Parts: sequence; C-alpha cells; structure tokens
Amino acid sequence: MAPPKPISKILTANRLTNGETLFYAASGTWSAFVTEAKIVTTQEGVDELTKIGADAYAANQVIDVNVIDATADGDIKPKDIREIIRATGPTVRLDLNKSMSPAGK
Amino acid sequence: MYLYDNFDQTITQQRIGEFRDQVQRRLKGELTEEQFRPLRLMNGLYLQLHAYMLRVAVPYGTLSVVQLHKLADIATKYDRGYAHFTTRQNIQYNWIKLEQMPDLLAELGSVEMHGNQTSGNCIRNVTADQFSGVAGDEIDDPRVASEVIRQWSTFHPEFAWLPRKFKIAVTGAAHDRAAIQFHDIGLQIVRNEASEVGYRVFVGGGMGRTPVIATEVRAFLPKDELLSYLEAILRVYNRYGRRDNMYKARIKILVRELGAEEFIRQVEEEWQASDRALVNLPPAEEDRVRKFFADPPYEKIAVPVAAFEDARKNDKAFARWVATNVHTHKVPGYGAVTISLKPPGGIPGDATDKQMHAVADLAEKYSFSEVRVTHVQNLVLPYVKLADLHAVWQALGKIGFADANIGLVSDIIACPGLDYCALANARSIPIAQQISERFADLDRQHDIGPLQIKISGCINACGHHHAGHIGILGVDKAGVEFYQITLGGAADENAAIGTLIGAGFSGDDILGAVEKVIDTYLELRQSGETFIDAYRRVGAAPFKEKLYGRR
Ligand code: SF4
Repeated sequence: MAPPKPISKILTANRLTNGETLFYAASGTWSAFVTEAKIVTTQEGVDELTKIGADAYAANQVIDVNVIDATADGDIKPKDIREIIRATGPTVRLDLNKSMSPAGK
Repeated sequence: MYLYDNFDQTITQQRIGEFRDQVQRRLKGELTEEQFRPLRLMNGLYLQLHAYMLRVAVPYGTLSVVQLHKLADIATKYDRGYAHFTTRQNIQYNWIKLEQMPDLLAELGSVEMHGNQTSGNCIRNVTADQFSGVAGDEIDDPRVASEVIRQWSTFHPEFAWLPRKFKIAVTGAAHDRAAIQFHDIGLQIVRNEASEVGYRVFVGGGMGRTPVIATEVRAFLPKDELLSYLEAILRVYNRYGRRDNMYKARIKILVRELGAEEFIRQVEEEWQASDRALVNLPPAEEDRVRKFFADPPYEKIAVPVAAFEDARKNDKAFARWVATNVHTHKVPGYGAVTISLKPPGGIPGDATDKQMHAVADLAEKYSFSEVRVTHVQNLVLPYVKLADLHAVWQALGKIGFADANIGLVSDIIACPGLDYCALANARSIPIAQQISERFADLDRQHDIGPLQIKISGCINACGHHHAGHIGILGVDKAGVEFYQITLGGAADENAAIGTLIGAGFSGDDILGAVEKVIDTYLELRQSGETFIDAYRRVGAAPFKEKLYGRR
C-alpha cells in the first residue's frame, strides 16, 4: 500500500462584510495574511479547521469557506496558483496587491 | 437616449429599498448566505477571488455623460479607482464591500442605473450594435427594440426563474456587430419583399462548453409582433428547458434535443394560441419609445471637410487612427469614434476613474453627451464632427486611449480570468498583455490587418474565444495554467466556431505559438487577404504544421 499523502492544509474564506480574503490564524482569529495561517498536518487538524470554518460561516462572519493545500518551506503559502492569487491579489495589478505577511514580505 | 418614466423610476427605487433591507438583514444574521445569495445575484453582486464584484447593467451599451461620470465616481468612492467594461457591454467593479452596497445602489439609481439582470437565470441585459442609430448600413435603429425588450423583460414575473440565463442581442444592419448568432435569441432587423420592417429571428446560439451557432427560426417576423413572439419562445423554453442539469439548461440544448423543426413548430403553436394583441406593444407606445432615440441636432456639414482632410494628410499617425478607429457615419460630416481600451500591455476593457471622467467630458464637448460600450470592450463616441476628430484624438492621447488598433491584433477581448474570477482555470489578462506588447508596433499591426484574438480563462467563454479568429482558452492541467488555441471562429454574420488545433501551450509558450500562427498567415496570404479569409481558404493544416511539425 502506498503511504498516505502528507497533509498540509490551511483554512481560508472571505469576510462577509467586505469580501476580503482571510485565513484562519494560529492565534485563533482571522487574518488577512496567509503567513499567519494555522497549518495542520493531520486529519484531526483538517477536521478541526473544517469545523471552525463551518462555525464561522454559521455565525455569519465569513463566506466561501475552504480548507486548501499549503506549503510551509519557509513562510506558509497556498499551493495552487488560484489560492496564491487570492492571497495576494491580481497579478496584473501589483500596485493593488497585499503582501502575504504583515511584515510586508 | 431613453429616460426613465415614473414607472421605471418607481420599480428601480423599490428594488433599491428592498435590497437595502436585505443587506441589513444579512449583516445582522437574519438571512443566511443560502437565502441571501440569490438575492444579491439578482442585484448583480457576485463574490470573486478578492472581494465582491458588482456588475452594472448598461442597457444596449448606451451611456449618458451623467451616467459615465457617476460610474467613475463610484470607482473612486466604492472601489479602487477603476472598473472593467465587459463583453456584454456592461461594467464591473472588482473590490466592492457588501456593507456599502445599499448606498452604492442608491447612487446608481440616481442616474437610472442598477445591477438587475446582470446575473441569475433571468433575461439578461439586452445588447445591441454599438453603432445603433449612426451606422450607414442600418435598416432601423436597434435601440428601439432593445429598449422595448428591456422594459418588457425587467422583473418579468413569468421569466424570473428560467432554467438558465437568457441573452438577447439586436442588430439593425446586415453586417452583424453584436454577435447575434451567439445569443439565446438574436434579432436582425430586416425588410421583407414588401419593404416592411421586421425581424429575422435566431434562437439557440451560445458559447460556453457547448458552442452553438443559432438557428434561424423565422426569416421575417412583422415588427409589431416582436413581444408576443419572444414570449412564445421563452414559454417553450421555460416549460421544456432542462432544469435537472445546469450544463444542459440553455435553450441551445433544447433546440438541439427537440430538433429545429419541432422547436419552431412548438413556438409557432404557442404563439398562435397566445393573446398576441395583449402582449404586443401598441404602436403608440413604440412611437413614444422611438422619440427617445431621435437624431441629435446634427449640423448640416459640407463634405469634404477641409480641416479634417488636411490633418489626415499632414499627420500620418492621425490618419492611421482615423482608418481604424473612426466608423463611417450616416450623416455627412460626422464620424463614430471607437476609443481603444487596449493600449499595448494594458488590461483590455479596464478604465480608471480619471479616464472615464475624461471620456465623459469629451462626449459632452464633441458627441452630444453620449457614449457607447462595445462588446469588444471598447467605448464609442457616436456623433463626432469630422472637423473635431483631430482634437478628440489628441485629447484621447493624453489619457492613453488613442491607440490606432481597432479590429487589429492588439484589440483583444480578454475576460478577467484567474486574476479576479472565482470560476477561472487560468489567467487571461497577462496573455493579452503579452500579445499586445509583442505586437505593439503599429506598422506591424496594420500590416497584419484585421484580426480578432479572444481569450477566456475557462470554458464559460466570457472572453468569446470560440468566436475569435484566434481563440485562446485557459485550462488547468494538473494545477498548471495551459492555453489551447482555436482558429477560424467569427462573431459576425458569417458566424463560425473556432476549431481546436491541437495540444495546449504553457503560459511561457503561448505567445510564441500565437506569433507562429500569425507568421504562417503572413507567409501564405494572398494579396489583400485577411487572416480569416486566408484561414477559410487553406484550413487549419498549415497552421498546425507550423505549430506542431509534421505528424
Ligand atoms: S470565461 Fe471563465 S474565467 Fe473568464 S470571466 Fe468567464 S467564468 Fe471567469
């Protein structure tokens, strides 16, 4: 049997009030910066994030809730191009992009 | 231009009030997202990758100066200083906040605008030839029918929950500038043998994952019968269109599944059985609507206009712009100017608040205060005196909108793609930017001649790639953006669906592939032959060979 694929996931959504892209942070709040995301590496962790997302959705804080693949070589980053663009902004308007981290990286 | 009457004003204001209430209830948690989503979509509010996106309807692409100024103000106040003109002649804002929507809609409402019919499974905002009322080749002004359709379809209770969205386009000329054969219903204004005006009616065209060229269902529909006939089509569709599978829900699939003959039979039967007099527009009402589209107070101008001819002779760059961007006008001494929103390396269809204000100012000064939006994502000043063209061109140069490239290789349609769109598989805009930069040299563009490149970031085909002479479709290949090329599509009266010519190209290779296609055309073209004519003569083989080698 092939070994199970390693898990590396974060929780993302958009803020209800203004649509801003958010990541569920290790601090237990929602952050605009993906580098602050809480990364999980176990199925239990994924289940926990899924529940947190569902609760935040039910509490009308966020919409479009998804647990997505992330990499953590150095800073935490989404794996797919779509999610990288969501985390930073349109690649054709770099002037409007936000950095991935509050430090401006 | 049409101006709202009390009825239009009242229903728009009521809707604004309703939505204000709905937003407040949503923000208080009294409505769930499941309950609220269809309501926000009915008002044109989507959620995209970075924020909410608001799509504002521009009925048949016609804008007053007051409206364009307001759209610019909204970009400043509620967005990030810019907006995007779409292939449906509408405008989109990319960074909208839900909590600001009620105020934003109230501002739009103050200039007779809204986001209704820009989303959802209803009859969408009607589109038309951008040169309506000014084109020399027009039989009748399609804005009259378009406005009638707008009024008839707005909040039409029977057609508020169709199996799927429904798009209607109207052209008044034999040369189709509104891509009518790619619409659910396409209407071409024609004359019959008795010289009466009516409609040639097409049904079941569309792009998306199943591109279809519309079927002609009636060669001639008397003008006064328009609404009852549209209703009969919509009724058959509403009754039998597939609601079980969203990929089979458009009317094009119904026409295909029933067969054209049976579909037409059912429509005619429905039509004959209906109370047509009740539904058709009374002639007096048509006259009332028509008055709004009366000619502006043109001056009588003797042609040729010496100042214009001199400027053309002495200024090569101006002459070139006139050749591509100024369309022949039905009134001597005037021209219809297409303002290119496609500068080299620019984002097709994007305009900043400042640019929108500047265009509105130009329209006020030179074009009877009216602007049009084209489905190719450009703007039009429909009524400019030839003597004023040089000044208009210079003023456009100051805002970066004076490129002499309309209809050429850099006049690219590109949907927002993965830079903004939640449904996208790949980015569209950077591909358009690469192409327009590579072909920035105007000598080269004019040498290549008429060529329509259209790019979509997914199979939904908002970028009309199926109808591109060169179409580019972004796909996702194991998490990597890839681009497929189709050749030979066309959106005019010789509508054609492009043929996929082979395996896709990576984001790094697509520009080179497009250039190879164009080089191949340049090598094989005969004197005076455009890209599409050459393609129709030789087919895909030489292009394939150049791209993929002999197989
Ligand atoms: S074609 Fe696809 S990617 Fe482009 S705007 Fe439409 S849905 Fe979005």
